[in-house]
Parts: sequence; C-alpha cells; structure tokens
Amino acid sequence: MQENKSFGAKALEFIRNNIVPILFIIICAFCIPLSGFTPSYLLNEIVTRMGRNIFLILCLLIPIMAGMGLNFAMTLGAMAGEIALIFVSDWQIWGIPGVVLAMILQIPFSILLGLLCGSILNRAKGREMITSYIISFFMNGLYQLVVLFMMGSIIPIKHFSVKLPRGYGIRNTVSLLNMRQCLDNLLAVNIKGVKIPVLTFLIIGVLCLFIIWFRKTKLGQDMRAVGQDMEVARAAGINVEHTRLISIVISTVMAGFGMIIYLQNMGNIATYSSHSQIGMFCIAALLVGGASVDKASIGNVFLGVILFHTMFIVAPRAGAAITGDSMIGEYFRVFCSYGVITIALVMYETKKRRSQNRTAQELARAAAEETAKEAAK
Amino acid sequence: MKNVKRLVMRVAFVAVLLAIGALMLVIGRGHTVYFDNKTMEYGGKSCETPYKIVVYVKGEQVAKLYNGERGMTTHIGQNFGMALGITQEKGGEEKIVEITQKLPYNIDGVIINLPGYLAGLPEEAYLSEFVAAVVEEEAPEEPIEGDELMPDDGF
Repeated sequence: MQENKSFGAKALEFIRNNIVPILFIIICAFCIPLSGFTPSYLLNEIVTRMGRNIFLILCLLIPIMAGMGLNFAMTLGAMAGEIALIFVSDWQIWGIPGVVLAMILQIPFSILLGLLCGSILNRAKGREMITSYIISFFMNGLYQLVVLFMMGSIIPIKHFSVKLPRGYGIRNTVSLLNMRQCLDNLLAVNIKGVKIPVLTFLIIGVLCLFIIWFRKTKLGQDMRAVGQDMEVARAAGINVEHTRLISIVISTVMAGFGMIIYLQNMGNIATYSSHSQIGMFCIAALLVGGASVDKASIGNVFLGVILFHTMFIVAPRAGAAITGDSMIGEYFRVFCSYGVITIALVMYETKKRRSQNRTAQELARAAAEETAKEAAK
Repeated sequence: MKNVKRLVMRVAFVAVLLAIGALMLVIGRGHTVYFDNKTMEYGGKSCETPYKIVVYVKGEQVAKLYNGERGMTTHIGQNFGMALGITQEKGGEEKIVEITQKLPYNIDGVIINLPGYLAGLPEEAYLSEFVAAVVEEEAPEEPIEGDELMPDDGF
C-alpha cells in the first residue's frame, strides 16, 4: 500500500514536472491524424526543421547554466548573423565559402553585442529575462537604423540585388539562392524519401559535444556555481560578473552561427523581420522540451524541437479540418508559443515561492524548537 | 609569461580566422557565365558561328546553342572549365573542345562569345560584362514596419 502510494506520488510528481511536454504530446497525437500528412512527409519536415533550428536553440543552454534564465537577447546574435549575410550577399560570395565567411564575419559583431548585453544584464541581476527582452527591442531599432539608412550611404553596399532602388537601405528580402541549403545538401543522405542533412547534424553534434565538454571545464564549473548561488560563488573567489558576461557572449556568438545555418536553409533573409520572432520561438521550443528557467539540457532541446515543430507543421491542417479555416491553426500555433512560455514562467515562479515558503517554515520550526528548548532549561 | 602566451594564442587564432576569411573571399566569388553563339567582328576579322555548340560544365550539359542563341550557368571561383561539343554543319560530327577560362573577380556576369574564343581572338574581344537592363519600378520598395504577430515562414 505504502509502495503503491509512493508510486502514485512519484507519477504525480513526474506529471507535474513534465506537464508541458506531456501536453504537447497529447496535442500532437490529436492533430497528426487530423492533418492527414503521410508519415514520410511529416518526418521529412521534422528532420528539416531540426537541422534548421537546433543550433539556435542550443545557444540558450549556457546562459541558463550561468543562472541568467532564458536569453531573449539571442536576437542580437541573429542580427549579427543577418548583417554578415547581407555583406556576403553584396560581395557575391556563394555556396559553402559564403556560409563560412558569414560565420567568421559575424563573430566580431556578436562579441560586441554580447559584451554590451552582458554588461547591462550584470546591472540588472535577478531581472535578466525582462531586461534581455527589452534589449532585443532596443537593438532591433538600432539594427533598422543601420540597415535602413546607413547601409548604402555610409556603409558601402553596391549590389543591386541587395540595395534598395533609392540608393541606400537594404531590400525587404535578400536572396540567398546561391547558398540555399548548401550545408544541408552536402553529404545529405536520402532514406525512403526522408532527406537527412548529415553535415548540419554533424555541426550540431560538435556543438553538443562542446557544451558537454564546456560544462566540465573550469569556466563551466564557475558558471554552474554562479548559477546556483552568486554570493557563494563570489565568496569562493569566482569573478561573478566576468563569468556571466562570458556566458552571454558565447550565447550571442552561437546564436549568430545558428542564424546563418537557419537562413541558408531558408534561402532568403527577411531583412526587417527574420530575427524579430526567433528568440521567442526558440525559447518556446526549449520549454516545450521540458526545460525550465533554471534548468535545461541537450535532451530538452531535441525533444522540444520535435514536439514544437510537429505541432507547427500539423496545426494549420488540423485547424482547417476541425473549423474549415486554416488561419485558426496558424493562430493556434502562435497562441501555443506564447502560452507555453507563460506556463513555464508561472510554474517556475510557483516552484520558487513554494520552495521559499518551505525553507521559511523549516526555519520557523527550528527557531520555535530552539526557543522551547531554552524555555525548558 | 602566461599572459604573453595567452595573447599570442589569441592573436594566432584571429590571424587564422582572417586567413580563412580571405581564402573564402577568393574561392567563393560567384559569377554568372553567359555563352553566346553569335557572329562577331574584331579588327576587320569576322568569326562565323558553327551550326550548334553544346556546353558541358562538370560533365553536365548546361546549354545547347544554335546560331544567335545565348546560354548561361553559374560558377563559384575564378577558374572556369567547360567542354564544348561543336557541330560545324547540320548532321556533322560533334567535336569536343576542353576550355579553361579565368573569370575577372570584379565582374558578376561574364559573357563569353564562343565563336570569338574558338577563333583565337584576344580576351578583350570575346569576353565582356553582362549589364542587366535597368527596370523602372512603379512603386518604390519600402520596408515593412510594425509588429508581426504571425511567425515567419518556416517556423
């Protein structure tokens, strides 16, 4: 009876801890048959989207490790990646060399933006997520100023396919046709109609190995210590601010790489909007995988991408099948993205408060016992 | 000493990245190559067109050009190699000629006049820049402003 009860409690705790992935599994299980997609089509789409998005989502892990929560400012890295790709398109560097050059070119931009963001976040300890969210809005304005007015007038941009006809500013859409899926197609394997972008997955694998290795390094251990308790870490001689700064810089640089992988898969840059939603969707995907504000793993990234994108693929068709209007499905997936972030944040806050309450109660009980002991003496 | 070693490592790393970047700039330059099978005159000499020229790039046929026709392909890098299958007269035998052409770095679209090339004319005669016709746009393209609630395509 006791064992049964403990099993039930364990199951309840498991459900409570994994409510978001479980919800998404239920939604996907409900929507997949309604969508009417063939398994090979669905698998093909999921594999493509895994190759496209996983790198971007992995960049969120390091700030979580350093206790800085979900890095909404990964958008800054995405902007750096876009700027690098605009230059590469203007210089007409195509194919793999174009991708490699863009990756190298985005590094200084990302480092600069990461340093700026990290130093601001160091001044807003405890409110990193909302601060990084607002930083991303602020930087979006600056990005638009650079791309819309400075490129072509102050920053030399020559190619007619990139520059607006008025003589300055960048077109709404910059074509990356000459580097489209060049990473994905190199070494690609086709298994029963499912294209597997082996090189992209190898790059993702290398990043996963880097993250595993990084956790074991001195810097990685420092980040974990800072993430657990900043004051204890400081007392142990760790330079907390510097460690947090590095975590944001690494995340921003990785987001830049991720954005380039993402855009080479898409084959074009929506200059003024590609980056605007990227942080939100990456964070939503990570949370769908069962991660929380203070804990995330590589497994969460993979599970999140599979579940979130399965929902993204099937929702419009399922919405059309249920209501006769595919826009319902479109709204449903946007609603789910924002909803899952809200649920995760509420759950995190509830857990934190519950834990604080429990600690306070234990302290009060200990104090009461101490007082009782002294009174008995 | 440790700091000096660290600085040297960092400088070396940046130098390697710069070197890779420079290499990519050279080997990754893309060109659109146009082939003309058109009669041309140069220095009082006229180059007549063969009946048909088939252009092969990396073993694949990219164009089949009769008199007055133009074909195109894209190429990354400056060394452009192609094979021409030349048929002088209708029903005649096809003769394969292997060609390597250095493409100018600063030109996006390169036009190669094949009869001129085959006649052994100098480069300035058979090679020219493709200039796209400027089309007046009715409405100037303006960036889209405002929040976008809907996700970008692909997400």
